[in-house]
Amino acid sequence: MKIGLEVHVALPTRSKLFCSCRTDAEEPNTAICPICTGMPGSKPVLNEGALTLAVSIANALKCKVPAATSFVRKVYFYPDLPKNFQITQKDDPVGIGGEISIEQGKKVGIRRVQLEEDPAKIIRQDDYTLIDFNRSGIPLVEIVTEPDISAEDELRSFMTELKSILYYIGIDIDKELKVDLNISVKDARVEVKNVTGMKNLLDAARYELQRQEKLVKAKQEIVQETRSYSEKDMHTVSSREKESDEEYGFIFEPDLTVYRTKGIKTAEPVYASRLAREYAKKYGVGESTIRELIMFNKESLEMIESYKGKHDMKPILNAISLLQRYATAKPTAATFEKTVGLLEKGFYPDKEAILGIESGKKVEAHAAAGTGEIDKEIKHLIKENSKLLKEYEKNPKVFNFIIGAVIKKYKSNPREVSERLERILEGFKR
Amino acid sequence: MNSIREFLDAEKPEGYGKRVLEELSKLNEKLNAFNNITGRLGEGMPFSVKDNICVKGVETTASSRILKGYMPAFNATVVQRMLDNKFSFIGKTNMDEFGFGSFGLNSQKPARNPFDENYVAGGSSSGAAVATSVLKYHVAMAESTGGSISAPAAFCGVVGFTPTYGALSRHGLIDYANSLDKIGIMARHAADIRYVFEMIRGQDPNDTTSIEGKYASEDRKRIILVDQLVNGIDKEVESSFMGLVDKLEGMGYKIIRKSVPFIEKAIPAYYTIAMAEASTHPASYSGFKYGYKNEDFTQHYNQFFTSAREQFGEEAKRRIVLGTFVRSASVRDKYYSKALKVRSLLLHELEGVLNEGFILSPTMPIQVPRVDDAGSLTPLEVYKTDIMTIPPNLCGLPHVSFPYAYHKGMPLAAQLVTKQWNDEAMLGLVDGWEKGFKYRFKYNIGELR
Repeated sequence: MKIGLEVHVALPTRSKLFCSCRTDAEEPNTAICPICTGMPGSKPVLNEGALTLAVSIANALKCKVPAATSFVRKVYFYPDLPKNFQITQKDDPVGIGGEISIEQGKKVGIRRVQLEEDPAKIIRQDDYTLIDFNRSGIPLVEIVTEPDISAEDELRSFMTELKSILYYIGIDIDKELKVDLNISVKDARVEVKNVTGMKNLLDAARYELQRQEKLVKAKQEIVQETRSYSEKDMHTVSSREKESDEEYGFIFEPDLTVYRTKGIKTAEPVYASRLAREYAKKYGVGESTIRELIMFNKESLEMIESYKGKHDMKPILNAISLLQRYATAKPTAATFEKTVGLLEKGFYPDKEAILGIESGKKVEAHAAAGTGEIDKEIKHLIKENSKLLKEYEKNPKVFNFIIGAVIKKYKSNPREVSERLERILEGFKR
Repeated sequence: MNSIREFLDAEKPEGYGKRVLEELSKLNEKLNAFNNITGRLGEGMPFSVKDNICVKGVETTASSRILKGYMPAFNATVVQRMLDNKFSFIGKTNMDEFGFGSFGLNSQKPARNPFDENYVAGGSSSGAAVATSVLKYHVAMAESTGGSISAPAAFCGVVGFTPTYGALSRHGLIDYANSLDKIGIMARHAADIRYVFEMIRGQDPNDTTSIEGKYASEDRKRIILVDQLVNGIDKEVESSFMGLVDKLEGMGYKIIRKSVPFIEKAIPAYYTIAMAEASTHPASYSGFKYGYKNEDFTQHYNQFFTSAREQFGEEAKRRIVLGTFVRSASVRDKYYSKALKVRSLLLHELEGVLNEGFILSPTMPIQVPRVDDAGSLTPLEVYKTDIMTIPPNLCGLPHVSFPYAYHKGMPLAAQLVTKQWNDEAMLGLVDGWEKGFKYRFKYNIGELR
């Protein structure tokens, strides 16, 4: 079984790919001009910022970036395509032959990365077809993978790794990525077009795999075709168009030139997943804890990077998650230092304490009171259930209900509470 | 001879502008030079604009029914630069639909030759040439893809200049074949062209392919006659052309003969690239955003767009079909990719020749044809008449057509070609020619005494 993907990523430029219209307009047809509506006489002018981002993506996906990149016309007729052709890339895309490492310990090949324009948006309403040209000309990067994905969990990992890499380049990953899935169980390749969102992607892949496997079992032929995914019914249906017969009549785009890639200042790629693995090994902390903090959070990574030499990793990670939960603004160095300081002394600041630290109040006593209160509550609950103390010797989990109760009351960190509980129970034993 | 200076310095009588446009409108009923005359002639030197170049708020149709009613929301860069320099826009000139033609006949109302209405005006910038031939003070913004400035300028007896590709911005030009399209200038004198060219050229942020050229002015006093361009043509054209060669020799030019067999590959390569690029555009004229509007929204998808397609003329349909074919995957390498190779090889070969001097040839291999005769030619016979104008157009080389004799009352013209960015020296030669040869015109609308 093989799965290959074509992932479409909208670039976060302020203006469109070939004109100066803004990219964030909401009311339909308000960010349009002669270029993105294809008015006769208009000419495209490349947004160099979009090219820089596309090259950054190609670079981060470890692609070879050719010395020069150029555009072609992909000619087909559809009402959402105002010029009757899409400006895209073919022979000289911004990236060729890269890869992404996924958690399962394998690499998924990246065949190509290309820069292209989005068509307009078609909205079907009652008997009408409405067209919103705000989307026409939005810069897209299409990432085409090799058919190297062979299981659902690999698909999930691949998408997570890809999104994390894109996040660190500055792509808005809250905007859903549009994916075309190519799935083949045997020889025939089935393309499922336009799937958005991780859940739909996994559901569509699962459905399509089961469908094809069933056909194989029944010794029926799998038709090479394009299908679409219905979110409502959670299945794929044939969309009748035959991709392999399509004829786009590509020609070089003569209104643009050949663009040199040398000298383009690309963003330094960040592989959060690899960093998490390295730090976990180096500092003896949980890899999943670090992953959770840094895969999609630049601030967390920055804090780890800037404090890793000064403090132990464990209080750093605790401070980051506490500040993420309670801090009202981006933590200053002073706030961070105070929080870590408290943690290192064995205190566990609660929400009130964090707010106190932020506002510059004298907080040590306050925070200590916070943890003191938790200890008091734990002690109180142990005393109330002192019968269980006998049982505790045989079954250490007997007091675990206290953890839940304390968390519920003080919204504190589970691991911290369980450590405190353990320490206090030690005292009771003695 | 600089008629722009002369016009600006002259005292204009009361109501001059109005009278000029009235006379022009009246003559236009006979000659069809203009698709519209706006009637706003101010103090500035008049200029006209070929109907495939956008003028803000003025109907711009490229002489196609499918663009009827298209009002551009912006001025083409060349138009804006003319207006910024206080020139007066007077109207949009007739042309072959989308530039597809050599005689001006692929228009709903074909322009007629001002020397004799039974003869063609030439194309595709037919109206620009006719307007230049009938107006005493005027320059025309024209456009050439494969000879659309040289051919009509030759047949109407005016000077037609096509600059180096990229010298004048194409922003605002309705595309024929983008890698070949060049905006150019027609006028009655080379000096007027030089004046306007210097004023409007230069890099334009709205056209990526426009360039701030490194202009040279190199005249090595040598004229090259390419065998393939002067042999086997109309006898009368050939003998009178040799008369011009003698006169240029008398002006101090050394004449060199050369054979460039590869130049014969220019026509097939040109038509392949031109049609391939041209065929990517017309489907966007779909009948609901601008121009021709199909108001029947009860029609189904295919019906709706098919009815828009009916608006195209025959030559446009032919080029859409042929161009779509040469782009298709199975024959792409055989035609389109091969044509691109021919283009770069030919450019290389011609650059070598042009380093020695100017290439001179008749502009057209035939005398001005009668409307009836031209109309009965097959498409292939028509394409073959572009043999002289296509090589420089295919390679983006500057060229200029100028009159050098009159035969039975109709003008005969020659074409000079030079290397890229040597536009000025080439126009200088024509300027020199004009000192010893007086051009003839039948009409002189707007003459000041």
